Amino acid sequence: MNDIAQGVLDGVVAAGARAIRWLDDRDPRGADLVRRIFPATGRAQIVGVTGPPGAGKSTLTDMLVTELRSRDLRVGVIAVDPSSPFTGGAILGDRVRMARHALDPGVFIRSLGTRGQAGGLSRSTHDACLVLDAMGYDIVIVETVGVGQDEIDVVNLAHTTIIVGVPGLGDEVQAVKAGLMEAGEIFVINKADRDGYQATQRQYELMLHLREQAAVARDAGWSAPLLRAVATSGEGGKAIADAIFAHRAALEARDGFARRSGLREREQTLAILRERLIARALGAQGQAVLAEAEARRIDPYTAAGKLLAQIDGKDDLA
Amino acid sequence: MQEQPNRRLRVLLAKLGMDTHTVGVTIIGHALREAGMEVIFTGLKQTPEMVAAAAIQEDVDVVGISTLSAGHTRNLPKLARLLREQGGGDKLLLAGGVIPQEDQPLLQAAGVHKIFTMGADTRDIVQYLEQWWAEKQASEAA
Repeated sequence: MNDIAQGVLDGVVAAGARAIRWLDDRDPRGADLVRRIFPATGRAQIVGVTGPPGAGKSTLTDMLVTELRSRDLRVGVIAVDPSSPFTGGAILGDRVRMARHALDPGVFIRSLGTRGQAGGLSRSTHDACLVLDAMGYDIVIVETVGVGQDEIDVVNLAHTTIIVGVPGLGDEVQAVKAGLMEAGEIFVINKADRDGYQATQRQYELMLHLREQAAVARDAGWSAPLLRAVATSGEGGKAIADAIFAHRAALEARDGFARRSGLREREQTLAILRERLIARALGAQGQAVLAEAEARRIDPYTAAGKLLAQIDGKDDLA
Repeated sequence: MQEQPNRRLRVLLAKLGMDTHTVGVTIIGHALREAGMEVIFTGLKQTPEMVAAAAIQEDVDVVGISTLSAGHTRNLPKLARLLREQGGGDKLLLAGGVIPQEDQPLLQAAGVHKIFTMGADTRDIVQYLEQWWAEKQASEAA
């Protein structure tokens, strides 16, 4: 245990990999491990990469890693793919697009399955970011599963979120619906050499314009850039990396970097609390209450009240 | 109160060498996923060094190598050695594909735990892994 935590602090790859495994598996050793490494975290910039399936998130991430390495930064990548809701199994294939970094000691790539978590990330993604942060990676890129319209947990996790779109997906209505457009700090239209680029670009420009007018963006001091990329050929990598650093500078100018890190810990605290409260409420007696609800003998509000009462140490309705 | 552990078998599947025949390894990947395992693909034209680095970073339990273009008597022993050197000696190393009978003793002596040759049934591979995983967890709990 001590060896793994110390290994993480020393930047040992095998130790970091095992630490992430414990946290992903909810191994009981994980909580102590986080306690040990937490003081060494808060330095890395967490960069989210999200967008619909097929937008080229992995290829764009690969391009970004190359660009960031050329600037002598150490880069961690957490690539999340969906787990089957039926079997719990998963095919994790994002590494395939990042194979050229396999032997670079300045790059650590880890694939995670969502393991039942909605929102585009796994429950362990936050923990994995802490591990890579403690290991000394300067930037941690979190690549989400392909998302639809509101699976945007990554914006609570990342300092900077990149929204990746492509030409020809959906119409104006889709763009209006998308919570994605309200969330990101950097917008990229990938596969910009394809037909329909200009129409898509005009839609995005309009959306970003409306967004600025409505000031729904979280950071009033930041004007989200719209960039073009052809990730397969490396086009756009430099401009995206520049935007990542510009956003960090804008955050730091208003003390926003630490504030975002803090918001992340707040969210994670609530997530852990929810899980533990549910686990406590669903003891042996709790399962019986749940079965009552499942049999439709009591309604869900009554059932939840009874379960809460168990945590409170009472024995009947709350 | 601690959350319930949720251990899940993680398997890295890779192709060593220059061949680009992915049908077999893809089918096996999907069979393992259906069995509830997490399968990490690394892509084509991998070297032993690349596979070892990925296996360590991903902290997989099992490394499965598909080889259809010869070179296995050189590549697989090298991969087994690299895994041992990099702290991955506890990982189960499997090989499948075109591997002549006469090469198998050499590979097994070098650290390949099991070889599935052409025509192997995916259900047998799943069963083999499930049994190995159950035994591993039992021995760690003891």
